[in-house]
Amino acid sequence: MSSLVLMKILESAPARYEAGMRLLSLGAIPRAQQRAASLAVPTPNTRVLELGCGTGAYTRALLAAGARVDAIDHDPAMLEQAALSLATPLAQGTLVLRETTAAETDALADDSYDSVTASLALSEMSGDERAWLLRQASRVVKPDGQVVIVDELRPKLRWQRLLLVATRWFTAALAWLVTGSTSQVIADLEGELGAAGLEVFDESRSMLGSLAVVAARRCERAERAPLEQEAA
Amino acid sequence: MANTAILRDVAQAVLRLFPWPTEPGLRTVGTPGPESPVIITGNYDLTVRRVLAALRGLDAWVVVASSRGINVWCAAAGGMLSTAQVITALKTSGIEQRVSQRRALLPQLAATGVEAREVARRSGWKLRFGPVYAEDLPRYLAAGSRKDDSMRRVRFATRERLEMACAWAGPASILLALVAAFFRPAWAIPLVVQSWAIAIMVFMVYDRLPGGEMITRRRWLLTWPLAAGLSALVAALFSGGTAAVAAAVVSATALLALLTFDFDGSTPIEGGSHFDSRDWAITLDTDLCKGVYSCWEVCPEACFEKLEDTRKVEISQHQRCVKCGACVVQCPQDALFFTDQEGRRIDPAVIRRFKLNLIGSRGVDTGSDPGV
Repeated sequence: MSSLVLMKILESAPARYEAGMRLLSLGAIPRAQQRAASLAVPTPNTRVLELGCGTGAYTRALLAAGARVDAIDHDPAMLEQAALSLATPLAQGTLVLRETTAAETDALADDSYDSVTASLALSEMSGDERAWLLRQASRVVKPDGQVVIVDELRPKLRWQRLLLVATRWFTAALAWLVTGSTSQVIADLEGELGAAGLEVFDESRSMLGSLAVVAARRCERAERAPLEQEAA
Repeated sequence: MANTAILRDVAQAVLRLFPWPTEPGLRTVGTPGPESPVIITGNYDLTVRRVLAALRGLDAWVVVASSRGINVWCAAAGGMLSTAQVITALKTSGIEQRVSQRRALLPQLAATGVEAREVARRSGWKLRFGPVYAEDLPRYLAAGSRKDDSMRRVRFATRERLEMACAWAGPASILLALVAAFFRPAWAIPLVVQSWAIAIMVFMVYDRLPGGEMITRRRWLLTWPLAAGLSALVAALFSGGTAAVAAAVVSATALLALLTFDFDGSTPIEGGSHFDSRDWAITLDTDLCKGVYSCWEVCPEACFEKLEDTRKVEISQHQRCVKCGACVVQCPQDALFFTDQEGRRIDPAVIRRFKLNLIGSRGVDTGSDPGV
């Protein structure tokens, strides 16, 4: 590819990510993030692990709800953008930003967070990565805590699925050009959560059924196998 | 199955400028065991298929890391195929449960974005940078994981030139044909022919034309009559009308401008023409150099020469440097760094963090100068 064309698309991605997402979703994404924040932060001072914080749009909603947030992302440019817009909570100590991959969450202690949450991060991951991350989320969240996901899911109604298939190539191309996002619709998040030992207790949808806020908690009946055994 | 692969080859040749992702994860070739080689690549579909095809007949594990569907070199330079993606792929693909060793091979062109030492520190995997091209993998493995000079350098031979011509002519001809179909259907075929002819001509001859100090302008003046004349001839043959010939000359000029605006950036022989980094220079601090030779190992243009007697390197081919930054990223001593037009040192840590041309920091726009 022409390096100029590629770099011009990529270099401006962090700065225009939030505005692009807001525009492309006609405001549905910020509304979904508000809803997710209210589920992930039931009381002030809830300790939250945010996976894939990007430029910090959802982080702001979590902080506004009263959370103390540990936010991770692997992309230094996105984190730098987040640090610029979240300088106050960083200085106050209610927010910690870490440059690390989701795959390195295995270093976190068991039962260490009240909530684990992610907005538009899982649909950017491969199936392997998502499965790994959800197992880690299930492990690090406290038994009475919750895992809250905002993401692009396959709609439940048939006509909505048909509409999604018909328009997906166009919306995906537009999203890549505007925000640099390369998300893929998650076909069965509930099943993937179940495989990680989590059960859904709340779900709401918008954008013709394709944008979901899903809240899950640890399934007490599930005997969670050691990670190495599951992966093998 | 074979028909599908051919169709995909054609589509990918024409749409090469766009990302084409395949699912990241673990693939097997043959019947690999715990000691079989582990090869990592990005998830650009064409790359993965080429790697799997090259390894046919061998037993190997192929770990496909996310590069957002972009080819290895562009993804590594743009931060899409980075240390983070490689660690993620190694930890989540299941490869750790299947092999007893922790050694893996990366394409050499990933060295611009993936820090081998950082991957080792954070995941325990020891990386080596293999050949530039997948087709050289069997020879590299047969030689006991050793590269000869031909495996280390990027090529821009006829095949690569035709691939880039397809990549530009494909979208241009589709777009022009659609526009023509709407306004002047009779011009659609001539415009498609024109797009392909000019793209092939540019990528076959443009950089081989005599240059000199006014290199771009002189090449342009040499290329334009060819493109315009060829186009006028095609238009005359198809319709014969004066309007068609005039339109062909105008569209030839526009196409030529599009193809040559960032010609260097579409090739592996030069860095992009429109970045500040074009005027940067690689600088070697010989006092810091300890003769690790990682720069020599990863440079795709063979700019470095080993000095065995002093256990140092020297930059013997400065003029070949494409400023990919691979040597800066991999040097464990920080003995290599860029200096800008004013002679200021760009810290290697900044290049490692924000990749080629400081792409990440420019996206953030902190208002500060990261280079000093």
